[in-house]
Amino acid sequence: MEKTSRTAKLYLVLVFVILYAPIFYLIFYSFNSGGSMNDFESFTLEHYAAVFSDTRLMMILINTVIVALLSALLSTIIGVFGSLGIVYMRNKSLRNSILSLNNVLIVSPDVVIGASFLILFTMIGVKLGFASVLISHIAFSIPIVVLMVLPKLQEMNSSLIDAAADLGATKRDILTRVIIPFIKPGIFAGFFLALTYSLDDFAVTFFVTGNGFSTLSVEIYSMARAGITLTINALSGIIFIVTLVLVVGYYFISQRGKNPIGMGVRK
Amino acid sequence: MKDILRASIAILIVCIVLFIVNDYLDKSSGKAGSDTVTIFNWGEYIDPDLIAQFEEESGYRVVYETFDSNEAMMTKIEQGGTSYDIAIPSEYAIEKMKEKDLLLSIDHTKIPNLKNIDPYFLDLSFDPKNKYSIPYFWGTVGIVFNPTLLDGQTFESWETLWDPSLRGQVLLVDGAREVIGMGLNSLGYSLNSTNEKELHEAVEKLKKLSPNIKAIIGDEVTQLMINEEAAVALTWSGQAADMMWENEELDYAVPKEGSNLWFDNMVIPKTAANIEGAHAFINFILDAEVSAQNADYVGYSIPNAAAMELMDEEVTSDERFYPSVEQRDNLEVYNNLGLEMLGKYNELFLEFKMSSN
Repeated sequence: MEKTSRTAKLYLVLVFVILYAPIFYLIFYSFNSGGSMNDFESFTLEHYAAVFSDTRLMMILINTVIVALLSALLSTIIGVFGSLGIVYMRNKSLRNSILSLNNVLIVSPDVVIGASFLILFTMIGVKLGFASVLISHIAFSIPIVVLMVLPKLQEMNSSLIDAAADLGATKRDILTRVIIPFIKPGIFAGFFLALTYSLDDFAVTFFVTGNGFSTLSVEIYSMARAGITLTINALSGIIFIVTLVLVVGYYFISQRGKNPIGMGVRK
Repeated sequence: MKDILRASIAILIVCIVLFIVNDYLDKSSGKAGSDTVTIFNWGEYIDPDLIAQFEEESGYRVVYETFDSNEAMMTKIEQGGTSYDIAIPSEYAIEKMKEKDLLLSIDHTKIPNLKNIDPYFLDLSFDPKNKYSIPYFWGTVGIVFNPTLLDGQTFESWETLWDPSLRGQVLLVDGAREVIGMGLNSLGYSLNSTNEKELHEAVEKLKKLSPNIKAIIGDEVTQLMINEEAAVALTWSGQAADMMWENEELDYAVPKEGSNLWFDNMVIPKTAANIEGAHAFINFILDAEVSAQNADYVGYSIPNAAAMELMDEEVTSDERFYPSVEQRDNLEVYNNLGLEMLGKYNELFLEFKMSSN
């Protein structure tokens, strides 16, 4: 790789400053005892204490994490099998139309998806709450997982499968020992993207929450109407740290996967 | 393959642990009986301690949810899926909900604390005899301004907004009724006017305001005013109170030509599952001490005469937020103009917005 020039580096630094400045600004003021974001008075942890002492907020935070983890896990499983189905589909035009349908779901506005889910759930009599939120999060995460896994499957050399079959591997062995290890980076990428999508989503979630079940995005949105309180800053700080931990975790997992000898043959 | 399985199992275990923690939190938060009351309220519109107090006193378990606009709230109630026992819409939304037959009538015999409410706030045009709604908070539309950025204007009249010295300094809320209403009021007309001639005059007048307008926006007004990015904003009294709390320089005025008087009232939607509990909650909120504590926390004006006696004299005598009866005579409540007229208002507002760019 060529060495990046000085201007290129400077440009990169600038981009990152712009991206991260608002977040750090927000977190900085979460330690402000002054009660507002105008001037910093002195350091305090009271806003963090306020988050942890508010049981309702804590429960919403936990709900959000549960929904994110479960929906990402389930949508990854469904999405992986979906992309396998798409790749090994014989009929080319059917495959292309399914792929297009998948892409339509990615570009269609969240508000439309949310409203459709609300109408669907109330029509078939599903009570709004944990289940409805989970189902809709799984639904909008699947296309993203498919999009992450497909390229990996497509770049896989089909002679790998032929070789495995020649050596006497059953279909099951081929799937679990050849294909899945090969597309693992795609699976993890899909999982983490689904996770962030679920944490982040407001529009769909707003429509399908109910019966006391709510997620952070919905809660913060209505809290922010009355002006941003520093509790929101503290909460955002906590979420930022949690996400950071997740990303670092992902980094280490993907580093381990890069082992050049382990190319798809590790048990 | 193995590490994928291991990761999945780890995630499941984390989820189970979180479920258990959540369950524990749910139980430890002192929620007694199995009967629940589901409340659907604006964000940050009640003191959370009061919810706990209500649970303790009544034995009901409270499920509390928030919304951010009357329209969103109405959609969720209309669609069903959740049985809200209490919702707190604004007056025009109450009229709409009545039309759509979404509300249950309220049994006044179960709400003895209704006597605490100042009669001024009862039996209003949007809900005669308070058949469907009980007052919660109220306020006005007016002008919040920053004297340090101005040269002495006090906004006793809407006319001041047109002052050439305010070039590029005025923020407006993005609401057709608020802005057109302001135009009508400034000409001395009713803000419920349905007279085409008056409406067109109002829009022409508003167009002359264009050079002074900095932006037409939503809730961002609060932050802009606090940060002294703008000198003047048309806004609601409660939002103004929030701003003044954050930035002590700010002041609020309701121009003498008149303005809008608004109410947020408690209603019981048709989908309510616990009607008994809903009445108990309404009665609880109307209690003098509870209401005073809530007003302290939220910062809007309460209609509760008994509670006002318990509150800080300085707050209740502040005529910017508790205008006297004479001042209120100048104020008008929004009438439901009907779909067609509302369309006309929106159209005119759009016309004004396009001309102001």
